[in-house]
Amino acid sequence: MLWTLIRHELLMNLMTFRFLVTVIASMSLVLAGSLVLTDNYERRLASYNEDFQKHQERNFSGKTYSSFMPSLNRAPNPLSVFNQGLDKRAKNSLQIKIGEVPFLWGDVNLNTGFSNPFRYLLADIDLVSIFQILFSLLALVFAYDAIASDRENGTLRLILVNPVGRGLIVMSKYLGAMLCLTLPLLMSFLLALLLQLQSNAIHYGADDFLRIGGIFLTTVVYTSTFYLIGLFISSVIYRPATSLIVSMFIWVALTLLYPNVSLFLVNRFIDTEERVRQADQAIDQILEQFYWAEEVPGDPFENPPLLKGSKAGAGSSSYTHLKKNITFIPDESEIHVPTVKSYFQELTSGRIRTANKVWQIREKAFSETYIHKSNIARNALRFSPAGLYHLSTEAWAGTGLASVEDFFRAGRQYRGTVLDYFYDKKAFGSRQWFASDKGAVQWDDTPRFSYQPPSVFEDASNRALGDLLLLFLLSPMLLMITFAVFSRQEV
Amino acid sequence: MLWHIVKRELFEQVNSLRFALAMLLTVFLMLVNAVGHIDEYKTQQSEYGQQVSAYLARLEQNSNHLYKLVLDGPGELHKKPSPLSFCAHGSENNLPKFASGKPAGWGMHPVIDGKPYNVSGIWRLKYSGFPPIKAKDMFPVFLKIDWILIISNVLSFLALVFTFDAISGEVEHGTLRLTLSNAVARRTVLTGKFLSCLMSLGAVFMSGVLVNLLLLYLSGTLQLNVQEWSRIGGIFVVGLLYIAVFIALGFLISVLVNNASTSLVILLLIWVIWVILVPSMLGTIMSGLNQPSIRRGPSPVYFRRSGLQERYIASGLEDEAPTRERPPTPATRLWAEFLNEEAREGARLHRAYLNAQINQIQIAREFNRVSPTAIVQYAIESLAGTGFQRHLNFLKNAERYADAFNDFLISADRADPDSPHVPFVREGMSDKPVSFESIPKFQDQVRLEEAFKGAILDVMLLLLFFTALFAAAHVSFQRKEI
Repeated sequence: MLWTLIRHELLMNLMTFRFLVTVIASMSLVLAGSLVLTDNYERRLASYNEDFQKHQERNFSGKTYSSFMPSLNRAPNPLSVFNQGLDKRAKNSLQIKIGEVPFLWGDVNLNTGFSNPFRYLLADIDLVSIFQILFSLLALVFAYDAIASDRENGTLRLILVNPVGRGLIVMSKYLGAMLCLTLPLLMSFLLALLLQLQSNAIHYGADDFLRIGGIFLTTVVYTSTFYLIGLFISSVIYRPATSLIVSMFIWVALTLLYPNVSLFLVNRFIDTEERVRQADQAIDQILEQFYWAEEVPGDPFENPPLLKGSKAGAGSSSYTHLKKNITFIPDESEIHVPTVKSYFQELTSGRIRTANKVWQIREKAFSETYIHKSNIARNALRFSPAGLYHLSTEAWAGTGLASVEDFFRAGRQYRGTVLDYFYDKKAFGSRQWFASDKGAVQWDDTPRFSYQPPSVFEDASNRALGDLLLLFLLSPMLLMITFAVFSRQEV
Repeated sequence: MLWHIVKRELFEQVNSLRFALAMLLTVFLMLVNAVGHIDEYKTQQSEYGQQVSAYLARLEQNSNHLYKLVLDGPGELHKKPSPLSFCAHGSENNLPKFASGKPAGWGMHPVIDGKPYNVSGIWRLKYSGFPPIKAKDMFPVFLKIDWILIISNVLSFLALVFTFDAISGEVEHGTLRLTLSNAVARRTVLTGKFLSCLMSLGAVFMSGVLVNLLLLYLSGTLQLNVQEWSRIGGIFVVGLLYIAVFIALGFLISVLVNNASTSLVILLLIWVIWVILVPSMLGTIMSGLNQPSIRRGPSPVYFRRSGLQERYIASGLEDEAPTRERPPTPATRLWAEFLNEEAREGARLHRAYLNAQINQIQIAREFNRVSPTAIVQYAIESLAGTGFQRHLNFLKNAERYADAFNDFLISADRADPDSPHVPFVREGMSDKPVSFESIPKFQDQVRLEEAFKGAILDVMLLLLFFTALFAAAHVSFQRKEI
């Protein structure tokens, strides 16, 4: 019986004008959107490749240990086509330094493959935003008269004459419409995938397909939430036109206004700058103490002959007064080498200590400001299905703040590995720390950086599923409420 | 008769559920907008004040030597923030806040007569200064709640909700037949309905605006002069015109479709595509196809590659150094000519690079004008003095000032009787200090006529949209069988 009803609903829906419009609208928008977004991704990838090549050559070309300051690049995420998240706007490179722990939060120059910085005036919209707006609207359009029109036509009465429960009717309407909405959605996803796979730049692995599957699933659940909101309204309000107006107001409020208003207010009223300034001051103090108060008077060389012509200048780090890429040490200076060695050993371990101290302050400040603010924003977004949808797809795509942070965490880990490697080699107190006259450093056994983003399962279980579950829970709740209202109604 | 219909319709509108919801929504958003912008302008202005005083301090410091001004230029010329940024944020965060009159950034050190001669290029206007993305802006993307958003998204939506059943609903109920059985022309009915819709939506819009301005005024954020009030007036009128476009669209569909709900469904789909998706996609696609022809800004030493230097060296530039002799020697003149031509060429290349960038955006904007939402955005931005058009005007101001500054340098040199008067080579110019007061100072300003001129094209386009849609609604209503 259920199947008959579903088939009936499906047929009724498929033949309508709105279904046709749904297919055309979603396909054409996805087509246009995919073209723009894929092109954008290709440009970013090209610019990443260029940087990567450049750094690859430079990273391991130093002759002394102290010159080892590799730059690491964050590759653009192809799934940013679906949900761009922070992928385009967050910092996309970091440098490993002895004296500083790398971190995400800093000014980013707009370098994303476009030669035109005015491009940022033009809005660009990702596929998830298109689905978010379009399919919620379509779901409501499918739902607004589902019950009301049957009631108006009198068909509802006719159906109920048969031995059919009301729950079955609600269920069949829901399933029929969902099947009907999933079809254009599936077609849009396939079209988007097809267009993306045309590009030479995008190669999806099994992991990525699972992620896209996750996004698809989330979209279906999101559409279902809105369909059920519409169905509920339709069961409460008798006139289809009124029910449509109310649905539309709710739609505008939930998808367009609530997310933007809440983010606008959070951004305006949670002040981060004051706290960050405090932290910066504290950090400046520490640095000043270390580099100017302690070290300079403790400089073992007032004017050692080793430094003839090798005083601070080009190529030396800004804080230390000794040159660190000396290529020739005259014999008469050889006597000073042990002193220089121990000086550098002292200095470097001091710098590492200072860097750790600074990082502790920074980490605390960031988690109290930017991360705090972003968490508040996320929690605020969770009050709207559109927000839940956005958060969940962002996690599936791996473009959110957490995923960007992952890269920087990996960078910090790599810095730790490099430091350990240097400790093992006793590099800090070695001659090769500052001079390459007895041969340049061989970088063969140095640990290399490779970043493996968390697998789809980790991302799903830690980040995506929570929001998806919240979104998913709305469906049975709404279904039950609708059913409760509907079963008490007189037909 | 017209008035009678308007009154009746208006009464019906105002008593409906949708009017209450519309009022609630608009006033709430206007409140959010006001709350979000309290004191924003003050912060911007104090920042601007600091930058201007830094600019003046630098100028004053450089005024102790005329040639220092020639080399270093006037410094960073800052854009004045608009007090109306709550009406239109205009993506000001993504636009440069200044143009820089900076040193050329190159030097030559030829050896002439066994002695090194150092020379560096003279100043020119450069157009970089795009602000970085700040750490605090690494935040989910959202639309800023400004008047443009409220007008273009919310009020247009409300216009459709108000009009979708204007005709089709009455056809369904049969009331239209009754109305027309009186001695009433169809166009009177349509005009009456149109006016009542415009009035009720205008009332919604007006109350939102009043609440917004009142809150800003009470918080002390709003201190506007007559000019700025008239710009707000202009924005209000443009907003009404935009609403009228959507009322006309609503009537058109409502006439064409007999079922009220179907007409709302169609209207909403048109709305989503026309208002939300097209402005954020079409321009981007089109500008993606038109990449700027010049990919990189000119490097400071482009003239080595361009052959400018060779040409001058071939004609004997490095044979003789300029001197302070009077009358000036040919070598002094040649060096001056070289420096001037280089500066002109450099400025031209900077400008050409900028033009290539601007072009791409202009193309995107032309295409975006397919949607009235983009049109109303551009018009309101022009009137509010924010956004791209305003930035172009600012650059024009800066260029005008650059010319005035160079004129001043020449006239200051003329005023010194000891100078050989061959600008702009060091040896050919006065080496005396100039009085700081006499240096022209850059003052960025938005002229009212510029603001209105920038908006006029867009207003015309909106009028065109309105006329076309209203005429179409009218014609189809005349031909409709009831």
